[in-house]
Amino acid sequence: MDLHAKRKLTNKVALVLSLIAMAFGLFWLVWILWTTLQLGVSGLSVSLFTQMTPAPGSPGGLANAIVGSLIMVSLATVIGTPFGILAAVYLTEYGQHSWLGSTTQFINDILLSAPSIVIGLFVYAVYVAQVGNFSGFAGVLALALIVIPVVLRTSSDMLRLVPNSLREAAYALGAPKWKVITMIALRASRAGIITGVLLAVARIAGETAPLLFTALSNQFWSTDITEPMANLPVTIFKFAMSPFTDWQQLAWAGVFIITMGVLALNIAARILFKNRI
Amino acid sequence: MSVETAAQLDTQIAFKNFDFFYGSFHALKSINLDIYKGLVTAFIGPSGCGKSTLLRTINRMYDLYPEQYAKGELNISGRNVIAKDVDLYDLRAKVGMVFQKPTPFPMSIYENIAFGVRLHEKLSKSEMDDRVEWALKRAALWDEVKDKLGQSGMSLSGGQQQRLCIARGVAVKPQILLLDEPTSALDPISTLRIEELIAQLRGEFTIVIVTHNMQQAARISDYTAYMYLGEMVEYGVTDEVFIKPKKKETEDYITGRFG
Repeated sequence: MDLHAKRKLTNKVALVLSLIAMAFGLFWLVWILWTTLQLGVSGLSVSLFTQMTPAPGSPGGLANAIVGSLIMVSLATVIGTPFGILAAVYLTEYGQHSWLGSTTQFINDILLSAPSIVIGLFVYAVYVAQVGNFSGFAGVLALALIVIPVVLRTSSDMLRLVPNSLREAAYALGAPKWKVITMIALRASRAGIITGVLLAVARIAGETAPLLFTALSNQFWSTDITEPMANLPVTIFKFAMSPFTDWQQLAWAGVFIITMGVLALNIAARILFKNRI
Repeated sequence: MSVETAAQLDTQIAFKNFDFFYGSFHALKSINLDIYKGLVTAFIGPSGCGKSTLLRTINRMYDLYPEQYAKGELNISGRNVIAKDVDLYDLRAKVGMVFQKPTPFPMSIYENIAFGVRLHEKLSKSEMDDRVEWALKRAALWDEVKDKLGQSGMSLSGGQQQRLCIARGVAVKPQILLLDEPTSALDPISTLRIEELIAQLRGEFTIVIVTHNMQQAARISDYTAYMYLGEMVEYGVTDEVFIKPKKKETEDYITGRFG
């Protein structure tokens, strides 16, 4: 076999192998989405959004869990995002050569890959156990702790993508550092930073482990964050594990709602990212 | 290009025994150079000879990088700007800079110009409108963008972006304009327009340009400095440097035997 034919063959083998790998990955993904759709859509109804989580055998919905999740996810995002972005600004604009900068980056990467149950237990130990009761606020704390490393990482990556010549051009006009950071660097990377925040929201929207030990759950309507708070992931966990078919049906509907929400966020992030700069 | 008689020459930038370091690397060695007011001065030389480094000292760009430092004297209008107590914001208001690759800011064409002006002056809305128009006209860009001042500066073509950057520098009304290979990322037609623009700005501003393109230096500059390995090999009236260089090294470089 001459060299040319050999290269063509290698090329074909590589192509077939990568296609198989892609099909394998896609197969499970499509199956998961299909199951979610099939079992989730049939559970969709108006009462899902208007009624509370029921006792087994009685009609009900997921209103308290949906609202609880919305409250906790929004608060956690609002609290975690500024920390993440400001820390990223420090890392890329001030401390890129300092030991504090590189140490922070290293620790953040560990935190980024830390299992979320660790975060849940941590908040349980330092907050819930001290205060003596489960609360929505503890859930918010745990989720915010997951938001920070995600936002920090994506924001610092985006800020590093801003060409240094752009910063120099602003300095060359006589701009002070804070103006270069806020008006030029952050502005140039805003689409990427917003994408990172949306991805963080998508990540915490489905987190169950950190809420089990913190927000717990609540069968009733409650918007008081000092009390245990209903939320979708824990409700899904509880209902799906139960022997009652109506509860299982609600769990699937909840899974469907989260999946669609996360899907919408990912699409939004993608559109934003496409229009970057 | 004609050169004023020696009697009219007025030194604006003067390097005296000027040395520059990137950490332990001695990048510029005892530079002595007088750059004249209102003229176009070109720095030429092979890659790595220090011409961009020299240009970037004039607005103290190196201050951004802690391991870089300068020694000696760099006098601008008679004042040593290497001194620690020099107000960098003031210095940079007097010295504008345009980079190799166009660097439009992520904002509208109008805001790109207004950004620099606002750093140094408080203008009313109508004064700012006038200044933006004036700067864009000076940069020969007004006719192309006057109907889309609200559009992103990044929506312009490469050549337009570079003229926007020149307009942005001019808008602050500096005395000196530094151009760091301003046409090396542009096509020949955009390059020609920038060169015409430089000819128009000559006289009003002291222009210092770094270029890889020797024909460009010959076309647009009054004075030319040839640098090699961090040293100033030859400096003089452009026509003389190109037609009868005093040094053998300069001749070798200009005639293409080297570099």
